Amino acid sequence: MPYTELDLTLAEDHVALKEAVHKFAVGVLRPAAIELDKMTPEQVIAKDSLYWRCMKKMYELNYHTVLISDAYGGLGLDPLATHIVWEELAYGSAGFAVSLGCSCFNAFYASMMADDYMIEKFIVPFVECRDAGVMSCWGITEPDHGSDILMSGTPHFRDPKVVQQVKVRRKGDDFILNGQKSSWISNGPIASNVSLFVNLQPAMGMAGGGICLVDLSQKGISRGKPLNKMGQRELPQGEIFFDNAVCPARDMIIDQESYEMMTDLTLAHANATMGAYFTGVAQAAYDLALQYSTERIQGGRRLCDHQSVQKKLFDMFVRTATARSFSRDAMKYNMNTTPPDVKYSIASKVYCTQAALDVTNDAVQIFGGYGLSKEFPIEKLFRDARAGLIEDGSNDSLALTAGNMIVREVTQ
Amino acid sequence: MAVFERTDTMYRILGGLFEGLVKDPSVGPKFVESDIIIKFTISDPDGEIWLSPNNGGEVICGPYGLSPTIEMTLSGDTCHRFWLQEISMPIALAKGLIKAKGPLPKVLKLLPLLKPAYAAYPGIAKENGLEVKGA
Ligand SMILES: Cc1cc2nc3c(=O)[nH]c(=O)nc-3n(C[C@H](O)[C@H](O)[C@H](O)COP(=O)(O)OP(=O)(O)OC[C@H]3O[C@@H](n4cnc5c(N)ncnc54)[C@H](O)[C@@H]3O)c2cc1C
Repeated sequence: MPYTELDLTLAEDHVALKEAVHKFAVGVLRPAAIELDKMTPEQVIAKDSLYWRCMKKMYELNYHTVLISDAYGGLGLDPLATHIVWEELAYGSAGFAVSLGCSCFNAFYASMMADDYMIEKFIVPFVECRDAGVMSCWGITEPDHGSDILMSGTPHFRDPKVVQQVKVRRKGDDFILNGQKSSWISNGPIASNVSLFVNLQPAMGMAGGGICLVDLSQKGISRGKPLNKMGQRELPQGEIFFDNAVCPARDMIIDQESYEMMTDLTLAHANATMGAYFTGVAQAAYDLALQYSTERIQGGRRLCDHQSVQKKLFDMFVRTATARSFSRDAMKYNMNTTPPDVKYSIASKVYCTQAALDVTNDAVQIFGGYGLSKEFPIEKLFRDARAGLIEDGSNDSLALTAGNMIVREVTQ
Repeated sequence: MAVFERTDTMYRILGGLFEGLVKDPSVGPKFVESDIIIKFTISDPDGEIWLSPNNGGEVICGPYGLSPTIEMTLSGDTCHRFWLQEISMPIALAKGLIKAKGPLPKVLKLLPLLKPAYAAYPGIAKENGLEVKGA
């Protein structure tokens, strides 16, 4: 049964979009993600795999351009519609939703530039792409820098002893890139380009960073083995190595002057999106558990007729509904306000991923032994939700970053 | 010292720039169609400039009682540097030099429409005796 829509201002377009994406996610993404979950990471990304077939379908439906303005042929959805798409896609598969969300990184940065060169190089090919061949990834974390590289504004961020591992040097009209990004880069093994976070000024520590848009098909780039992991196995992840790779100087869109602020801005978007994704994961687990509780009989009564199960279902319902309301508000506010209020996006990510973990955990319990079995999608949802607490910044360190922001606001 | 010494000078220069923009055949119809009302809230010198799709596209300098779709808050100096392309939108946003209220997709949609103004502004600025580097 669909959830009650609390937002009475939802337009007809929003309702139609929600229904269409929901149908696609349940009919196409969820069964595909369950199949891909059983495969090796190499099989997931093999040519013409189920992964590619689903990504192509999403590109054909133009879902990849959710954040790209209609001035460039994208869908350019409003913040509420954007939330609806991310939540509903993740209802079918968190991994596919993350993969699609990362695919637009370079085109999205380029759309802030209003510059013909950027439009032609990064936006047009992405918007026109129908086979998922033009795909970005977000290359920020590194083998030696996971949490700390995301924690802008905190004291270590300006410590010259703590700097990004990917280094650049200027050579004529280009930057030469050397170093490595972590095995966690979503789309890393397959992306055609990367929004790469590098170090330009080691003396400034992490704050001396830059952001450049880099072609990954060039000589000088190599990739690690796709990562074998516990949750979101349909999402390809892996290292990217830079060995004298080249980036034209004009593609270094952010330098040390605004790196810290742009990292915040990026985190605000990414974390708000995570809030939407994991609302979808919570809703999926809740719906499946509720349905199962009406079918399974124990002690001569349906599970849902037992009061303790009703209480559990109610707790799951509250967490899911709260996650939706809060993450929608955080996304609406921060997509309507630039610079965004980052702590609300962080709060949304931390709250919704925890809610998804709690709800999927309760769902496993309601399913009993079957909750652990591969016969039902619940154990997968649980594993997918668990990854959410680390993905896009671990919840503990994100909480520290936001706590630091709160204190700075009252003391500075 | 601020690039625009007085509000009326700023209105004349930036108002003129925007007038040219909404009258530009490659921009005007697209702007009217977009149905976006933009309010620039400017400091140093203080002022307001509105771009409205009403009446085939109009520019109003000074307070105006509409409700904006997008409100950009910035200083007169940032306006000047932005139109000279000395500062890009992501950097201006990241550094807090431009604050935007309104749906981000609509803000981004506007950017490609601004091209003729980038081309026109250095000449207008120079004519009005404002500092233009490299000129
Ligand atoms: C599914 C998934 C998708 C991802 N996608 C991407 C991607 O697309 N691009 C990308 O660049 N990265 C990506 N990542 C990487 C992710 O951002 C990092 O895993 C995350 O930031 C944590 O870094 P780490 O794994 O190195 O853990 P560490 O930083 O080593 O942290 C380990 C533990 O120590 C804690 N800790 C760390 N620092 C502190 C501190 N100062 N105080 C207290 N506790 C601390 C953390 O909270 C954590 O619990 C992804 C990760 C996952 C799981």
